[in-house]
Amino acid sequence: MVEAFAVASGKGGTGKTTTTLALGMALADDHDVTVVDADTGMANLLFHAGLADADPTLHDALVDETADVRAATYDRFGMRIVPCGTSLAAFEAADPGRLRDVVADLAADTDVLLLDSPATLGSKAAVLPVVLADRVVVVLQPTVPALSDGLKVQEYALSYGTKVAGTLFNKVHERGTDAVETADRYFEGPTLAEVPDSDAARAARAAGEPLLAHAPDSNAAAAYRRAAARIDVRGGDGDAVADRFRSAVIPDPP
Amino acid sequence: MNVPEGDLRRSRVVADAAAPLEAALDRRLTGYLVLRPADPLVPDDGGGVITVEEGVPVVAYHDGTDTGGPAALASLSGHGPYRAELYAVDAADLADVHEVEALRVPPGAPAEQVADDTELARRARERSPANRSSSDGDDAVEAFLADEERIADIKRRARAEAERRAAEWGFDDAVEPEER
Repeated sequence: MVEAFAVASGKGGTGKTTTTLALGMALADDHDVTVVDADTGMANLLFHAGLADADPTLHDALVDETADVRAATYDRFGMRIVPCGTSLAAFEAADPGRLRDVVADLAADTDVLLLDSPATLGSKAAVLPVVLADRVVVVLQPTVPALSDGLKVQEYALSYGTKVAGTLFNKVHERGTDAVETADRYFEGPTLAEVPDSDAARAARAAGEPLLAHAPDSNAAAAYRRAAARIDVRGGDGDAVADRFRSAVIPDPP
Repeated sequence: MNVPEGDLRRSRVVADAAAPLEAALDRRLTGYLVLRPADPLVPDDGGGVITVEEGVPVVAYHDGTDTGGPAALASLSGHGPYRAELYAVDAADLADVHEVEALRVPPGAPAEQVADDTELARRARERSPANRSSSDGDDAVEAFLADEERIADIKRRARAEAERRAAEWGFDDAVEPEER
């Protein structure tokens, strides 16, 4: 039983990785959660999860067909985390087409698969996580560029048959809450949370810990927990999801 | 909006608005920037003028939507690449237009709402005189969200792009028929 979510934003700097790990930790209270750094060209998740020295990584599983992704799977903070490495050579050798097989393998024994997706819609490999997921969590912040790109992500997802689990606003300051209410009518799914702008997320990143581990009592952590509680995990058929990943198109190398 | 004719200091095509805003800030330019969409595939819906004093944005106007202030920034956002021109003008010649409250923008708003550059926005706010409002660009967000037609257009274009690329990328099987 598994449901795959792409956590996506269309642009960088919206707090997507912080969000992915926060939702992962909150959902891990009730589910088996696996978090995958699906942004294979811009490894980031490892720094947020204290895995900066992780070896092997997802890249190894994307290079070598015989490599078992389970070797690149780390139990941290109550979740399984599959980080990407920072080696450019490994990234260049990696075959993004293998991502669907790797994710299919992971889907076989988890409840919730969170794909931290690339912050762009510029290439086939970048869009693949949104195509493969059951639902997308659109990460926004109350600025014109973030809303504009978030709308694009939503339309891409809907075009490819991926539903919208909801939107999550990061870096909301006091006056931004009106904008969140107005934005709600242009997005499918509920507004999962408005996460206040705070130093806690920056401090957590600097400490190499997910926000919910670093500052569990912060307002931001509470907002992410509320967001996770609003996601009703639908636990589809694990084999069906695995099959879908396996039959998905193979992207060109970057 | 009437701005006095200035001396052209720089003109180039840029991918986004960050470079000209940063150039104005670094040079402590007093004058104005003209930003006009330069994508030949996108219809010319007009451009914008942002005045700067010592490099810090003061007022904005968009001639395509005839809007001023934060609404002008919302109109300008997301239309790069731009033809960007920087003009120098005597501060005294900008005094009148800088008095028009409806055209005023917070110092960091052009960087944040048009160029999507929070670090540049922070620098502009830091550089701005103490008497300038440093509130963020929520009004630009409100103006953007009030423009239902524009949002419908963004959605329409994204759908068309996703469907076109599905064919290019071999995602055809994934494409759902239009439900709306």
